[in-house]
Amino acid sequence: MSFRYTMIGAAVCIFIFYFGLILSLFYFVGGKGFWEALSHPNTLFSIRLSLIAATLATLLAVLIGLPSAYALSRFEFVGKGILDTFLEIPLIVSPIALGASFLVFFNTPLGELIQTKGVFFVFEVPGIILAQFATIAGLATRLMKASLDEISPRYEAVARSLGSSPWQAFYRVTLPLSFRGLLASVILSWAKAFGEFGATVTLAGAMPGKTETMPIAIFTALASADIDKAIVLILILVGFGLLTLYGVRLTGKKYRYD
Amino acid sequence: MIRIEGLTILFDTFKIIDLNIQIEEEGFHFLLGPTGSGKTLILESIMGLRKPEMGRIWIGDREVQDLPPERRGVSYVPQDLALFPHLKVKENILYGIKARELDMKIYEEYVYALVEVMKIDPLLERYPANLSGGEKKRVALLRALAPKPKLLLLDEPLSGLDPSIKVDIQHLLKNLHSSFHPTTLCVTHDFEEAYFLGDGMTIFMDGKVEQVGKRDDIFLRPKSKKVAQFLGAKNLYRAKFLKNEGSSQRWILGVNGLQFSIPTSLVQEKVEVEKEVDLFIRPEEVMIIREAKPVKDSLKRNIFEGEILDITDKGKYHWVYFQTKEGQIPFEISIPNYAFRNLNLSIGKSVKIALREESLWVMT
Repeated sequence: MSFRYTMIGAAVCIFIFYFGLILSLFYFVGGKGFWEALSHPNTLFSIRLSLIAATLATLLAVLIGLPSAYALSRFEFVGKGILDTFLEIPLIVSPIALGASFLVFFNTPLGELIQTKGVFFVFEVPGIILAQFATIAGLATRLMKASLDEISPRYEAVARSLGSSPWQAFYRVTLPLSFRGLLASVILSWAKAFGEFGATVTLAGAMPGKTETMPIAIFTALASADIDKAIVLILILVGFGLLTLYGVRLTGKKYRYD
Repeated sequence: MIRIEGLTILFDTFKIIDLNIQIEEEGFHFLLGPTGSGKTLILESIMGLRKPEMGRIWIGDREVQDLPPERRGVSYVPQDLALFPHLKVKENILYGIKARELDMKIYEEYVYALVEVMKIDPLLERYPANLSGGEKKRVALLRALAPKPKLLLLDEPLSGLDPSIKVDIQHLLKNLHSSFHPTTLCVTHDFEEAYFLGDGMTIFMDGKVEQVGKRDDIFLRPKSKKVAQFLGAKNLYRAKFLKNEGSSQRWILGVNGLQFSIPTSLVQEKVEVEKEVDLFIRPEEVMIIREAKPVKDSLKRNIFEGEILDITDKGKYHWVYFQTKEGQIPFEISIPNYAFRNLNLSIGKSVKIALREESLWVMT
């Protein structure tokens, strides 16, 4: 077999592998419990909760991640290397360990103070957002840094020399130039938050109608052998996943000035 | 007037220590140095993007070293131009006026004059991606000039251009400067570029200023062998002072047994017999004598016989490799084409060359 066909063959295998997996779901579609599960209030609640939580977690991640990404991309400062490495912690530590760490933290005096005087996180909706934020903040920062790295600091230098303050140079030049990359980072982070399971279930629990996000709902449906419900939720999750991927693809489309 | 005093930058492996530059109002000053000598660091410090270890910078009567870049009134054209790709040419050009919140009415006429001179009118609605290399340079220059900066900084403005476009831009720069008189500091490693455009020059090597002066002074009278070599000087010889002919006000120098005569007025430092120096003459200043033509007085004292080793046609001029019969001293000689045709030269031919006394230059 030629070199070329071996390589392409491997790529096709991966495609068949994933596509077959999704296709197999449809084997059970249309059972009598299927439509029932689709319109069940708990299912709809899970979808809504997942959408809201992932969006809020992503917003928070961008709010703190974008300035951090800019700092890492443009400035030299003490401890930069350590900071950069720490961003990878959520990528290498198992999500369940991350969630468990939060449980431990909220049992320390400081954690208890935050919960009693501020917001309650453990087994509550804010816990979902916090868990998702923790999982994606590092990733979001990393991805956004990569897109900022692609924009030469020379543009800002020129903008500054022409009279822009650093803030103006950022939003008039760097931000529009890196917008596609930043948007793709945001979408990917959102997708990761949307599908987050381990940290969320550990910190916020799995209470139907309260803290049950879609991945958690899939888990509980399987645990109670409710195959129909599980498949409905998986398909919806896959649907959203494909939509986000399509979104990322769109951001990759070239602008007219390229 | 722009004054830079005691600028000291320590960054990475770069050490720039106690740099001083003065640029006359409306002057076109060149900072010339080899690639990798830290010239861009200097520009960044003048602009305010980099905080130098030490140094003071005056732009007009304002001391600016503690001001942020946006308040210095210094425009910058980087080597890669950095035209904003998401803005049309027109928006690029007006960026500075808008960012500084200047009154467009006051600037309109001036900007339009620039657009005219630089022939940018048909490009205004385009995006930078749809411009050629030369067009991009023009737009970048215009963008920098539009807000009437107190100082224009150019970083290698002619690099990366096709030769024909390079000539166009070179003329445009000259033309722009003579029409609009922006005070300009241009950084380059290319002496020819500087020679064509600049009036003042600072030669900067290994983190230090080697020579400051008017263009022709530096061109004909480099201060050291290092500067001469950087300027691409040929015909550099190790020479020894032999004697001072007091009666004729001349020094006699020896190279490989040949004797060169130069006026004492051209030797600036105190010298004595036996002192070794570098002797230099530009290839354009070496003349090949036509037989049967009388030789001028200023040439009579330095005439040498020898043979033509090689001739190269450089297009606009010919390059002749010559070696003296006595002492075997090689000379490279540049001859304009019209003169070359009259001389009827060929490889192996025996000829005489003459050196104008005033063109000989001694570096101690």
